[in-house]
Amino acid sequence: MSDWPKKTEYLGRSTPRVDGPAKVTGAAKYASDVQPEGWLYGMILRSKWPSAVIRSIDLEKAKAVPGIKAAVTVRNGERHVRYYGEELAAVAGVSKQACLDALRLITVEASPQPFVVDVVEAIKPDSARVFADAPNLGEAKIKEEGDIHGAFGKCDVVVEGEFSTQVQLHQALETHGNTIQVETDDACTAWASTQGIFSVRDGLASNLNIPQTRVRVITDYMGGGFGAKFGPGVEGSLAARMSRETGLPVKIMLTRFEESLAVGIRPSSYQRIKLGADKEGKLIAFDLDAFGSAGFASGGSSAGGGGGAGFPAPYIYRVPNVRAKHAGVAINAGSARAFRAPGHPQGSFGMESILDDLAVKLGIDPVEIRLKNDPLELRRKEYEIGREKFDWLQKYRPPGTSPGPIKTGVGVAGATWGGGGRGTKAQATINPDGTVEIRCGTQDLGTGARTVVALVAAEIFGLPPERISARIGDTEFPASGGSGGSTTTASVAPAIFDVCTKALNELQVLSGVADARGANFDAACRKLGMEPVVMQGEWREGLSSSGVGGVQFAEVDVDTETGFIKVKKILVVQDCGLVVNKLTAESQVNGGVIMGLGYALYEQRVMDPQTGVCLNPNFETYKLPGAADVPEIEIVLLDMPERGVIGIGEPVTIPTAAAVANAVANAIGVRVHSLPITPDKVLEALGQIPAGPETASSDLDKSFVVVEDLPAVAGEFTDDVPS
Amino acid sequence: MKAFEYVNALTPTSAAGLLGENGRYLAGGIDLLGEMKEYIATPSRVVNVKNLPESKTLTVSDGVLRLGANVTVAGIAAETEILTGWPALAEAARDVGSPQIRAVATLGGNLAQHSRCWYYRQRDLTCLKRGGNTCYARDGQNKYNAIFSGNPCISPVVSNLAVALSALDARVVVQRKEGEASLTVSELYQDAWSNPLAQNSLAPGDLILAVSVPSDGRKSAYLQMSEKSDFDWALVSCAVSGKIEDGKISGARIVLGSVAPVPLVAADAAAFLEGKPLDESSVTQAAEIALAKATPFAHNGYKVPIARALIRRALLKLLV
Repeated sequence: MSDWPKKTEYLGRSTPRVDGPAKVTGAAKYASDVQPEGWLYGMILRSKWPSAVIRSIDLEKAKAVPGIKAAVTVRNGERHVRYYGEELAAVAGVSKQACLDALRLITVEASPQPFVVDVVEAIKPDSARVFADAPNLGEAKIKEEGDIHGAFGKCDVVVEGEFSTQVQLHQALETHGNTIQVETDDACTAWASTQGIFSVRDGLASNLNIPQTRVRVITDYMGGGFGAKFGPGVEGSLAARMSRETGLPVKIMLTRFEESLAVGIRPSSYQRIKLGADKEGKLIAFDLDAFGSAGFASGGSSAGGGGGAGFPAPYIYRVPNVRAKHAGVAINAGSARAFRAPGHPQGSFGMESILDDLAVKLGIDPVEIRLKNDPLELRRKEYEIGREKFDWLQKYRPPGTSPGPIKTGVGVAGATWGGGGRGTKAQATINPDGTVEIRCGTQDLGTGARTVVALVAAEIFGLPPERISARIGDTEFPASGGSGGSTTTASVAPAIFDVCTKALNELQVLSGVADARGANFDAACRKLGMEPVVMQGEWREGLSSSGVGGVQFAEVDVDTETGFIKVKKILVVQDCGLVVNKLTAESQVNGGVIMGLGYALYEQRVMDPQTGVCLNPNFETYKLPGAADVPEIEIVLLDMPERGVIGIGEPVTIPTAAAVANAVANAIGVRVHSLPITPDKVLEALGQIPAGPETASSDLDKSFVVVEDLPAVAGEFTDDVPS
Repeated sequence: MKAFEYVNALTPTSAAGLLGENGRYLAGGIDLLGEMKEYIATPSRVVNVKNLPESKTLTVSDGVLRLGANVTVAGIAAETEILTGWPALAEAARDVGSPQIRAVATLGGNLAQHSRCWYYRQRDLTCLKRGGNTCYARDGQNKYNAIFSGNPCISPVVSNLAVALSALDARVVVQRKEGEASLTVSELYQDAWSNPLAQNSLAPGDLILAVSVPSDGRKSAYLQMSEKSDFDWALVSCAVSGKIEDGKISGARIVLGSVAPVPLVAADAAAFLEGKPLDESSVTQAAEIALAKATPFAHNGYKVPIARALIRRALLKLLV
């Protein structure tokens, strides 16, 4: 049982964001908006080569451009750049035009090297190598449980399939970047678009070689990160260096083009799966051969900052006999970074797809086969709630049996996530005039963190949230962690609870008012005299926990003549412990589902194998779901206050693509094995494309021949099955 | 982008005179500014033609629709007379870009827009269309490219309005050095069929002034298929028109977009339909004929079934 109040006035209701008006009126200042006196624009010169040895960079002409105040190279001396878009140099000047002109006058002497951007090509023995001294295909990690060799013989039914997932880009609406001012005494202030103000502080201190106490990072507002904005980045380091050199603030906000090349991806995956069960549908054996790329540094086991390209398998299911093999592949492309539920969407797509194939082969209803095999009781309950709400038994029909050229189908999939809380400190000040200020060094990634702070304080003090001055996003405030792993609310809410409870006690002691909450609050404050109440508090056990399930149901229409998919409805059944703010919790679900739809149907970074460049570094051809693509999203949140606060930012994006893919397969009676499920792939799966040259997906199918004998070493696989 | 001079033209002839060696006309700017930001176009002078007299007027007289080149795409989409008299045009306009783009983009700019091939638009590549030696799309990522072409470049025409206007037998009034010319839509684009460097048949300095569309009692329809529900380019678009009497079609025109460097007029398919009733069987055969000579590449064979489906559906829409 948690210490949260059982009867609540503010928690668990739908409260609009306290900073909503500031955001919609433009009063809210983002890192991109900040314009300190004398600030300079900064821009970055990037490699035009996917692989090249850089011999020299001449900045002289750039420095001579009127208005240019600084020009620096990223590194001195010869270096090898390994992807199109890798940072080479930067300029800072009084106008964007001056910077653009200057960048074009920088001359780079380079020796282009062989390169490879296609994962399937990269694993061939004769492929160009990203690093000369190592093959692109890294050593495989392998997880073995039970007796995989004997187990398949005992299965009544075995299904096999090859699945692939694309490279997805984070595409936060606000691009990466910072405005950084380094004073002559080395005091540094950075306005950062970040999900981790303290990690940016530490990164900048290290870059500038100054004490962390000399760096202040401010993030009043930021426009999304999804896992890719924890550090200052090369762009932050360059802005800091040029600010130190000029004595002026320097702002480098990346362009959408740059955003697509160098600041993170969700790694691709190629999965060959064999799954066996008894005739009742109980899983017996699971065998996975997989590889994927987290970018140029993918040869390393956890390269790329996002933990490599591995993914949990057999995802949320417990299978007694398991072999799961995964290898990372280096290609000449930008590195991965953590991306909303790293690894899970890939794992979910492969496993949930093959599970449905198994269900079809056995003639078992897809919800039923999950109820038989899902080890988590809570999720089984969610399937049952969803089945009822979605009218599943009415809607589900055997694959491909919907009449007419436009076929309807339904699909389902589940997810898991941790999302617990951790160390966060906070300070509460109660002033004699009754004003309350809460300071906490967290940041609002866009999830509504500032409102969470205000709401928890409001609950404890019995005051309306607008009475609370909730101050976050400043490293001068008590420290909190980065906003990642769905941990923010579970970390921050308990700290605010703790500090406010202490402050309220103190107020009651000092004022002599036994219950200073609500209507008595102002009177109690007046009795404080000159001294405000200032209290420190922190996250503690008993107010948050971790581990959620979550299931999604999808209904789609598929036009079998054009391949067009229209998602009609997504139903989400999700547990998340104590719901702090229903409105922002539901916003998280909506955002997660929409991101999942992008992964399912639209989004894909496209590289050109001939030239190594990115072909869709823009919102025109990197296709994000738009308002017209978003279906009805019905949300059932299982409010379980007794578990304390648990984050849900990540779990809600995981199963969407698998559920949609299963719905498409159910509609048309054949499976599309690769994401995104675009019209060309639907038509190909339906056998509608006239014979001609090979298509992209048939290339993929052949790739598995090559990885038949992956070298294997012992290693740990992520295993996120909750116990 | 590269710094440039900006001048405001008051008449079509002064616009042409102001253009100079390396100038470009600016109307809505949707296409031009995109090219300038990527340094694909680096004009030293930009001549604003938005204020040319009569250029924003839309009139219907004697059954002929006349549109000034600066009528916006949103203006076309919203005009009830177009919706009832030339529905293919209104439907094509509605599927252009986003509401913001439609509010700014002009008819002339939509017709004269340049290639959207992602190799052409890649700032660091010099493809065949940009004067290089190679059409990267042929052996590369050609999912969005043409399945018909008369030259090594396989960049498709993507103007929705061109496809509809071609089906409607529109004439495009162009100011040329030699004087005003009235071109069919096919003539407006024919150079792009055979010349990889050409976006259309307009010479430097040529300026689209207006478009006129006859009605002569024809019905019309436009359909496109994109990957997204809205704000996306057509994978394939299709406009059809024809006279319908007793369920039989005459004078049919079937035009496909995003499949060839020009709006592809399926003349054989149209001839096949002459005098025939429009039904499942006849439209299916017409669709087969229209796509018979398609030569898809590694990743765009899917355009063939989509084109067939759109032809069938658009033709049957004429009966509604």
